Amino acid sequence: MSKKTSSQHVVKDDDGWAVKKGGSTKATRHFSTQQEAIEWARDIAKRQKAEFYIHGRDGKIRSKDSYGNDPSPPKDKR
Amino acid sequence: MPVAGFDKSVFINCPFDDDYRQLLLSLVFTALYLGYRPRLSLERADSAENRIDKIVGLIDESKFGIHDLSRIISTEENQHFRMNMPFELGIDFGCKKLKGGKWSTKQILVLEKERYRYQKALSDLSGSDIKNHNDDPERIVAVVRDWFVTTESIRAISGNRIWHEYNDFQAFLYDELVEKDGHETVDDVQASEIIMLMESWVKDRKP
Repeated sequence: MSKKTSSQHVVKDDDGWAVKKGGSTKATRHFSTQQEAIEWARDIAKRQKAEFYIHGRDGKIRSKDSYGNDPSPPKDKR
Repeated sequence: MPVAGFDKSVFINCPFDDDYRQLLLSLVFTALYLGYRPRLSLERADSAENRIDKIVGLIDESKFGIHDLSRIISTEENQHFRMNMPFELGIDFGCKKLKGGKWSTKQILVLEKERYRYQKALSDLSGSDIKNHNDDPERIVAVVRDWFVTTESIRAISGNRIWHEYNDFQAFLYDELVEKDGHETVDDVQASEIIMLMESWVKDRKP
């Protein structure tokens, strides 16, 4: 099963985009564009040293960055 | 013919091609999340069993049938209509109407891409339970959730919350299949394998 590391997710939500914490079924905040959601959530993920997932419109992972205490520096996988 | 689990089994009649994959996975996830057992012809890999016998067996063992007709229309010139989905829907309707007993309690949901489009090709279905999903996985989650809640008089979290759970599952899938197992993308893995992972994820997730 998945590690219990904290994570932040940018997900499609009705007509816009939402930021949600991993494991939560409620959105933390809604945005009208994905870019706005990404900028806001990435900042939180960095501060929380969390995993950061950007989901596509279909729910699939588009990219993931790790801001945890990983010995390897975080890299964009886009 | 085994009948155990009839009241929780859901026959899913839909395409298995790449174009439909994300709709299939979100549909199966929703049924699993609500405590039902999706039944797909993918699950019976015995090549000695012919395809129609597999389908008839699954229909016979399932109280519920979800049939997606959104891909029956050819999208390119000289492409054939895809008749498997309406054919299997017909078998399910026949089972419900003609077999009697518990099979008369069967519940059937027909999915389409656009509202009313099916009427041009399959007008016999007018008046049936038909919902449109607009090719949107978030929408199919809400439609399938609402249908089970109404049909079965059950309580469940909203479609939006199930959609958020589905997104968490997708993150788990990425970690397991791409980062841990070394697949290039999650799309390299067969739907049947993903559904097995989905079953264990939902089981672990829900109390």
